[in-house]
Amino acid sequence: MNEEPVFDLSVKARLDKLQEIRSFIDRVGAFLGVNKSAMGDLRLAVDEAVTNVVIHGYAQTDGIVELHMQADGDAVVIRIRDRAASFDPSQVKVPQLDTALKDRPLGGMGVFLIRKMTDEAEFLPLAGGGNEIRLVKRGVIQTGTSESMV
Amino acid sequence: MATLNFMVGQEQGNVPVTVLRVEGDIDAATHKSLQDKAAEIIEAGSTHILLDLGGVNYMGSAGFRAIHAISNMLNDGDTPGTMKSTHLKLLNPTDAVARVIKTLGFDVYLDIYQDRGEAIKSF
Repeated sequence: MNEEPVFDLSVKARLDKLQEIRSFIDRVGAFLGVNKSAMGDLRLAVDEAVTNVVIHGYAQTDGIVELHMQADGDAVVIRIRDRAASFDPSQVKVPQLDTALKDRPLGGMGVFLIRKMTDEAEFLPLAGGGNEIRLVKRGVIQTGTSESMV
Repeated sequence: MATLNFMVGQEQGNVPVTVLRVEGDIDAATHKSLQDKAAEIIEAGSTHILLDLGGVNYMGSAGFRAIHAISNMLNDGDTPGTMKSTHLKLLNPTDAVARVIKTLGFDVYLDIYQDRGEAIKSF
């Protein structure tokens, strides 16, 4: 069982909260001693995941999104929870990177980026409704570099 | 709410080039304003755009959606033998943004320059 402290953020699921969410990832990541490159990857993966929750999950209606961020050895685990409609990532098409840009459909890159930026990305239905996206990035915490929480 | 700031300049390469500098984070909340600004510039007659990303610290997939839309608005043809755009190029992305450009394969479509003068001459 992981005894490391969990850092939580609960915000309204709105696109104008994305900056606040990225800032939360930055602050907690700095506190945990996450390296700079991994911090950028986690910021991107979480931003994309929450964007999908807002646009596709809640369809821009009112809702709450919760973030839980925790160290696990040299890894960072982030759980993103919502109470939105269920989401099946297997239905999302992988972007065709070898196709001319004018022949590619607009968008459709979010889930692809989430998977590229993390070592694990699980999309799980929650009991009683909603979803949890569990992101894991390993080998990213440098020991002995923790800073004070800002 | 986060917003983007824009600066627009006109330069002369082999053709007239509009330099559009963006400052701020490009995410799902802000990308539409980039798309709208580019549409305004294209509507005013610009056919070649150098998008200066030097002031962008964060860009998610929404930013790439906007760039894709701008490329489509320019009715972009490819350079024969490549998939490179002749109408839209990128200037000075930060390391973090450059990494995502590569991950999404946009470096195949768009030339990326670090030097403004060299970028303008390339059009």
